[in-house]
Amino acid sequence: MWKTLDKSELVTALLLVALGTYIVAAAWEWPYMTADGPGPGFFPLWIGILLVVLSALLIALQVAEAFGGKPVARTGWTGTRPALLGWGALVVAAALLEPAGFVASYLLLSTVLLRVIFRRSWTSTAVVGVISTAGFWGLFVKLLEVRLPAGPWGF
Amino acid sequence: MDVLINLAHGFSIALEPMNLLWCFIGVFLGTIVGLLPGLGPSATVALLLPLATQMSPTSGIIMLAGIYYGAKYGGSTTAILLNVPGESASVVTCLDGFEMARKGRAGPALGIAAIASFVAGTIGVLLLMLVAPPVAEFALRFGPPEYFALMALGLSMVVLLAGRSMIKALLSMLVGLWLATIGIDLFTDGDRFTFNRIELVDGVHFVVAAIGLFAIGEVLANLRPADGAQQFKVPKGLRNLLPNWQDLKDCRFAFLNGSLVGFFIGVLPGAGSTIASFVSYGLEKAVSRRREQFGTGVIEGVAAPEAANNSETGGALVPLLTLGIPGSATTAILLAAFILWGMRPGPLLIQDHPDIFWGLVASMYIGNVMLLVFNLPLVPLFAQILRLPAHILYSGILGISIVGVYSVDQRLFDVWLVAGFGLLGYLMRRLEYPAAPLLLGLVLGELMENAVRQSLMMSNGDVSILYSRPLAATMLLFTAAILVGPMFRQFNTWRLRAAEQEA
Repeated sequence: MWKTLDKSELVTALLLVALGTYIVAAAWEWPYMTADGPGPGFFPLWIGILLVVLSALLIALQVAEAFGGKPVARTGWTGTRPALLGWGALVVAAALLEPAGFVASYLLLSTVLLRVIFRRSWTSTAVVGVISTAGFWGLFVKLLEVRLPAGPWGF
Repeated sequence: MDVLINLAHGFSIALEPMNLLWCFIGVFLGTIVGLLPGLGPSATVALLLPLATQMSPTSGIIMLAGIYYGAKYGGSTTAILLNVPGESASVVTCLDGFEMARKGRAGPALGIAAIASFVAGTIGVLLLMLVAPPVAEFALRFGPPEYFALMALGLSMVVLLAGRSMIKALLSMLVGLWLATIGIDLFTDGDRFTFNRIELVDGVHFVVAAIGLFAIGEVLANLRPADGAQQFKVPKGLRNLLPNWQDLKDCRFAFLNGSLVGFFIGVLPGAGSTIASFVSYGLEKAVSRRREQFGTGVIEGVAAPEAANNSETGGALVPLLTLGIPGSATTAILLAAFILWGMRPGPLLIQDHPDIFWGLVASMYIGNVMLLVFNLPLVPLFAQILRLPAHILYSGILGISIVGVYSVDQRLFDVWLVAGFGLLGYLMRRLEYPAAPLLLGLVLGELMENAVRQSLMMSNGDVSILYSRPLAATMLLFTAAILVGPMFRQFNTWRLRAAEQEA
């Protein structure tokens, strides 16, 4: 049974059970009913209960399918590495947004995407990076006066 | 007959050169604002409020309303081309619009969005003109139990947004409902699920979640070394870039459905264009002969929500102009404008200030024509964006996403949050959890909780109030039919299969 079970699906459903349990536990601390009517715990409590029940049902269905020995379509994880790399670059760009400014952080983000993930040449990376950054800066900051963080060098 | 005489008077005002100019400025600014994620019509109307109050009330309201309905035209463009919803009501447009773009039909999708917006915008104004006072009085009969039933009807749309697994769609919706509870509880002033972060006190902004789940999730799912070729097909020739006769024929019910649903939901204060777009999409899918193809790039799936989104403007102006009740942030700012001009919108506005009411109505007809003339020629131009190679397109989408969420409140926390939602969107895609139900829960959660709590306060905890009033009961019956319908279809499939096997 263990072999035919889709572990990714199982872990996700277990995480949802955990989330539901956390919501129920937090809502338990708040009044369910007050003299005026339902309290702050009323709505989240029901959301948490339903989350736990439905994720448990999902686990039960997955286990039943695995017991049935039917070939289960497994979650594919190919292509995860570039996705996580891109996400990491986005997180680093977010961290640098206020200390280094939008221009530097976006330039870094586009460099990682173009050079490391899409494997473009350094020339192509530099040209696209500079033009797109300048485009964003010109359109949003200069033309539309959107306030974006500026770095120590003023942009 | 009076209506026609009044409308003719309205046109004589709206066609004055200065009013035409302000109308054009309004719809032009609105389109630009709609294109940019994060920058909503309410912020733009608020920014231009000081300028508008220096103008005559008629010119001012013509310009501000132009921004309001113009923004709705622009909102669909990034949703279709980049899977980036420019505003909350454009989320549903992403479902079929972006799939059409993937299949090389971005042009017809953009074109039908503009045409649906024009048709529905015009029907919305027509209804505003003809039925405003009685409809506004009807809307006043909506108390908390009716709102609860309306929200339940909205949430039942999850059935129609579900992919292969209904349980996964429901779980996604429940996570959205939970996210909606984050922040200050307006009834008790206590905070919930804020994890001691001051930034979460106002809750999770819808735009942040939508951009993360849809746009960044999509980009992450497509990051792989490419040969520099363009990601999407864009057919050559103007004829292939605009909707054809068959497309228009396929959308005729969607135009009507979206126009009516959008207008009547728009009349209800607080309901808004997002729920209108979800409901009209659901209705369109429910009655369609090819409902199983929805979500794979069906043109009616773009026309219905876009029509509802635009017709909602006419509806939302009904309670504002006839009762003085603003139903949304934008109409609240419009109310502020009226007060600054020394007027109080209400039952006597049409009678006391016919120039303003009829001038506005006529200008909305003109504004809708301007928007169609202005937007349709831009369709082939916008569609060229998809000719960009993947590496330029995807880094550009990430840039727009960062700017979009940062510009909402100028908070770095929102950029962190959008990155988190981006990862969640990617994982949901991989694990086949649909993202649209999560957003549906996030949009409707707060309204639904308020409606339930207010209803039970009114009845001292007696739950029968939720289903005993006729309007609420009718809507709950519809909700039950939508929820139970697929089960009957499934049962029928099993029954037929069993019968075939026996034979």
